[in-house]
Amino acid sequence: MVVLARGRAGATARHWRESFMYRFVTSWPFLLPTIGFFVGWQLYPILRVLWMSFTDYYYLRVGEPVHWVGLANYREALADPLVRQGLLRALAFTAIFLPGMIVIPLVAAILIDRVRNQRLATIYRVILLIPAMIPGPLIFVLWKWMYSYTIGPINYVLVDVLHLFTIYNAPQWLGDPDLTFLAVAVMEWWWGLGYHTIFFLAGLATIPRELFEAARVDGASEWRMFWSVTLPRLRPILLVLVVLRFGTAMAVIDEYLIFGGFNRALPTYTWTVYMWDLAFQLGDWRQSYAAAVGWIGALLMLIVVAFLFWLFRPRD
Amino acid sequence: MVERLASRAPFARADAALQRPRHRRPLPWGAILRHAVLLLFCGIVLFPLAWVVLLSVKSLPDAYTNRIWPSEFDFSHYRYAMTHISTLPRNVLNSIFVTSMTVALATVCAVLAGYALVHLDTPGRVVVFSLLVASMFFPTRITSLIAVYEIQKQLGFLNTTHGLIFPYVTLSLALSVFIMRGIFETIPRELADAARIDGCGPWRMLLQVMLPLVRNGIVVVIVVNFVTAWGEYLLATTLTNDQEVRTLPVVLAAASGGMGQWAWPRIAAVYVMAVAPALIAFAITQRWYMRGLQEGALKG
Repeated sequence: MVVLARGRAGATARHWRESFMYRFVTSWPFLLPTIGFFVGWQLYPILRVLWMSFTDYYYLRVGEPVHWVGLANYREALADPLVRQGLLRALAFTAIFLPGMIVIPLVAAILIDRVRNQRLATIYRVILLIPAMIPGPLIFVLWKWMYSYTIGPINYVLVDVLHLFTIYNAPQWLGDPDLTFLAVAVMEWWWGLGYHTIFFLAGLATIPRELFEAARVDGASEWRMFWSVTLPRLRPILLVLVVLRFGTAMAVIDEYLIFGGFNRALPTYTWTVYMWDLAFQLGDWRQSYAAAVGWIGALLMLIVVAFLFWLFRPRD
Repeated sequence: MVERLASRAPFARADAALQRPRHRRPLPWGAILRHAVLLLFCGIVLFPLAWVVLLSVKSLPDAYTNRIWPSEFDFSHYRYAMTHISTLPRNVLNSIFVTSMTVALATVCAVLAGYALVHLDTPGRVVVFSLLVASMFFPTRITSLIAVYEIQKQLGFLNTTHGLIFPYVTLSLALSVFIMRGIFETIPRELADAARIDGCGPWRMLLQVMLPLVRNGIVVVIVVNFVTAWGEYLLATTLTNDQEVRTLPVVLAAASGGMGQWAWPRIAAVYVMAVAPALIAFAITQRWYMRGLQEGALKG
């Protein structure tokens, strides 16, 4: 096609170069690999799962006809106590996890931002960022050992060093339903501290220093400056982090599979684990119903995300 | 906490300190407290890693007394793990293979797409980019899992190592494209226009003009995809069954400490071998990574 265009007169060639087809042919090859992967392993599967959720498809019932059942799966799922409990458990974890995941890195970022020795500030950043370089599941494995009450150093310190507990009443971080979510949240804070600190530091760096100087001249306290200058300027970053972390917290699954497995008595048996259980383990692998459970969770998350965007909307 | 630290901070600032007479300048409590808190954070971050490294070099009796500093060191666990745990070398190779392929594919995809979204007059780029960004706010991993299993089955990829590459590339693809787009936006459009007027085609412009300028961003994308693929658990555990085709993290997560080949120091040695490549790579690329983040990977 390009050869064809070159053969024509100059005016036609210019016309061709500005045409939609030319722009399409020269630019889309660059997008194609990304779109191939994105559509093939993300967009299509999501839509396919959506379709499945309206049928009575069982993976292991090979050869049986599949029927369209409308909203029956959704109706059943909404009445299913395990779905409700699973969603509530995920919300409970999010409520524990999210505030700490925002506040602790924000404190760290404000502290590092005030370190005037640049070399020292870099060292702090790099050390805090180390956990972010370790893949999630390897973090979970490590912390499963940290919390273990046979080998774990946390209980060793609590029992044998500080003598706060004895081996008979030492906390079972991952076995006690009241402690599990806190234990998972602490691990997540540890993991995300450096990464989120870097985000906040980038945000703090964009605030013009003159704003603080002016506020200080006006006699504003540091606390007041934080609320009136720093926080409003960080709102876009806060929005992105709150929304992203809300998404990860609600859809946590690897942690729960590694820590709690399929133990329904533990709070780690949330809607995501239930969906996996339904789709790949229980009975005849009722993937249609599992798909509906997954979509109910996803829709609930979308509603909350929309609410968060509204909450953090730009205000003047 | 914030209140206490913040209200003391003015004393530490040079300008504030200069305003008061020199002989009455108080101790910089703000600075001391600040560094104390930051050192505490660093200590908390480093403790679990130090603990597992120490565990991997403890003698077997020491490992079961739980004391953090061993009375006797034993460095043989690394060799033992590699030679006595039957599938382990295989799992390491699987992880290396899957991760390197994923990183290569995802990076190429992200660089090409980021370039097309910013510097080419791509029709429909707003739609494509919006879809990619929207996917970052949607639990794609959970909702797509069931159908990904089906696709992998149809392609004959179930229970294979190489089959994992395809879903792995998509895991961080949207984020990678987002990062590369941010980096490409830091390159002035005039540069692209000038090159175009000089008769430079889109491919040559990317390879010869742009690529050296987005180097730091590429490092960020490589690190992001490396971390995702090296430790991926959910897909690997769903899509594979046999220990020989599985990757290192799945095997590690399934191993529960006990006796024999899975004695604690030996698992810890496997763990250190699993984490070390990531940390060494980070130590080497840390400078470019930080610069890449500052250049625009964090924007938006």
